[in-house]
Amino acid sequence: MTIPRTIGFPRMMKEPGEKRVFLPEFIQFLARAGLTVYIEEGYGSRSGFTFADYHQGEEAIRQAERERIFQQDLVLVLRSPLREEYGLLRPGACLISMLHFPTRPLRVERLRQLGLHAVSLDSLANDISLRLVENMHAVAWNGLEAAFDVLERAWPGLRPPHGGPTRVLILGAGMVGKHAVEAATKLGNVERYQEHLRASGPGSLAITVGRALTRQPERLRELFSQADILVDATQRRDTSRPVVPNAWLDWLPAHAVVTDLAVDPYTLDTNPPVVRGIEGIPQGNLDQYVFSADDPNWDKTVPPSVPSAQRRTVVSCYSWPGIHPEACMRHYAQQLEPLLEPLLAKGYAALSPGGGYFERALYRGTLTAWLKSGEYAARPR
Amino acid sequence: MRHEAGERRVFLPALVTRLARRGAQVVLEHGYGSEIGLTPADYAAPGLRFGDRAEAYAQDYVIILRCPADDALRLMRPGACLLSMLHYPTRPQRVAFLRALGLEGISLDSLKDDSGRRLVENLRAVAWNGLAAALSALRQSYPGQAFEDPARPPLRVTLIGAGAVGAHVVQAATRYSDETLRGRLAAADVPGIRVNVVDYDFTRHERYLRPLLAETDLLVDATQRPDPTRPVVPNAWLADLPPHAVLLDLSVDPYDCTVDPPVTKGLEGVPQGNLDQYVFAPDDPAWDRLPACIDTRQRRWAASCYSWPGVHPRQCMQLYGQQLQPVLRTLLEAGGVAQVNPDGRFFERAIGRALLSRQPA
Repeated sequence: MTIPRTIGFPRMMKEPGEKRVFLPEFIQFLARAGLTVYIEEGYGSRSGFTFADYHQGEEAIRQAERERIFQQDLVLVLRSPLREEYGLLRPGACLISMLHFPTRPLRVERLRQLGLHAVSLDSLANDISLRLVENMHAVAWNGLEAAFDVLERAWPGLRPPHGGPTRVLILGAGMVGKHAVEAATKLGNVERYQEHLRASGPGSLAITVGRALTRQPERLRELFSQADILVDATQRRDTSRPVVPNAWLDWLPAHAVVTDLAVDPYTLDTNPPVVRGIEGIPQGNLDQYVFSADDPNWDKTVPPSVPSAQRRTVVSCYSWPGIHPEACMRHYAQQLEPLLEPLLAKGYAALSPGGGYFERALYRGTLTAWLKSGEYAARPR
Repeated sequence: MRHEAGERRVFLPALVTRLARRGAQVVLEHGYGSEIGLTPADYAAPGLRFGDRAEAYAQDYVIILRCPADDALRLMRPGACLLSMLHYPTRPQRVAFLRALGLEGISLDSLKDDSGRRLVENLRAVAWNGLAAALSALRQSYPGQAFEDPARPPLRVTLIGAGAVGAHVVQAATRYSDETLRGRLAAADVPGIRVNVVDYDFTRHERYLRPLLAETDLLVDATQRPDPTRPVVPNAWLADLPPHAVLLDLSVDPYDCTVDPPVTKGLEGVPQGNLDQYVFAPDDPAWDRLPACIDTRQRRWAASCYSWPGVHPRQCMQLYGQQLQPVLRTLLEAGGVAQVNPDGRFFERAIGRALLSRQPA
């Protein structure tokens, strides 16, 4: 592939609750940029979009069956297709997706073996290593919105029986944690917050502690006992050990809501095994992201060997931004548009780490750059 | 920049020489860079020369981080363009003056992307540098010199305002604003820092805020108030803080007793600091120099600085240089500010939003 002429948009074959698709204005943008755009039949229909919404009389926008979508010069889909589907792409074509090169070695090898080009959206970073395609804001806000929704059902107007503000204990002060603090002080939703203000509600208090305190159980116990919402926004260096052992959940009040923003999986068949930050809580997705303590689905995602006797209501979702799909995809499209320009103008192979601002960022996200990186070279194969 | 002596920020050779290599004729004022030990040799590039102040201001474009004083602006030629932190929304007199001189402006603080995010900013340094100064003061004031004592309780930070600066405060506070110090204290099992974050809107509830103040070692104002005449914490409420508590002003709003009602800082009574002095003991004479309309009876250790990022000038200007480079490249490639299409590509749109000529009258 030199200069790309066509682009395909396959549907995401994930859980039914996954409704995210690129919006018509983004598809129109690509057509105006000179590409012939193929969208899979039914694309966007779960969100109520029809082909006519995308087409808008533009001849360069067409619909096609799934196999043909994967035959285009570029294939753009937010969450990665199954590895088995990579073979549908033509050698030299370019897959653009959240590919997570550092944590998906099998995926990388498959792409390499098939002779595919790839751009990982989660690796696009500017000169100071800030991710350019991300929605940490939505991770935090959507997760906290779900948590406050649960509490509000028990406490209309979010007026806790203890009489004070809702107390939100946040573990972790990284990128997600920072957004979680703001979301916690705004009750997870600005509209609810404004109504709460007008009603002279008691508000909320966000409490953040760093790593030093999370290692001191006796200190945490006091904080846990006063928390209405517990948020895991940690980024652990050692994913084989939980931040909060299951037994500690017993310190939380019975009404407390555990909010999982870290969404690490349970992967027990690796060495060392990967466990969740808060031990014994289920992993949610867009079909179900609220789990009461007696939820029958609790054990479906928690391996039997993981302690889970202590339970509180949990909100957890693998794809928190997908809770509000249109807002999420508008956000991603806004971030993507300037990044795609150098790819459309030069083609994948000509991208250079010495190019312009967005070209450099794009290059950092390529499979080519990853394969040349020291991190890749250091991996056992 | 001719502000306080402690203001040592200059654009670094990496940015300036890149401009020259891209074909711009660059004039640096004599002595530029000497504040941080840079010499003319560090800036050497084809098309770059040093000149006097008048010559530097007589160019088509003048780039300076903080807005120059009026006498310097008068040295600019009508039609020339000033790139600086111009703060249009809060400086209407400056906007009028620049227009009267016939200048174009690109306000660095108004360069924003399509979602409204600033492209040239260093809010992280505001938080981290401010926290470092405040924790240094707390180390002095903490009872029994027990700042590093494993037996002391967790330090309690109360942060008012959870916006962009506040988010960085949370991160800085939980790390003592110093990763090395954090590692050392953690290794010694010294309890860490607990940060209570309060939204600005709830600070007016006395019954909500005052109990928190009584349990605060470090009080941080990171608010953006819609009404600068109403303090976030009235001076009288500071009496609830423990005697050793430290006040940290990150909002850096000014005092103004010439208007009615007077404009006050969020933490009422805290002296306004700058890069020459940004830490004030309770008995510092600066408290007594504040305007008479401001209540300063309750005093604690305080940290305040008009330009927190300037505390570490090189790091600050390295970041600004990286952020500004694609903007300047866009200007050069367009052939000048007049040729920039405000509806064009990403950086052209950002420049369009920052143009003085496109601000409402």
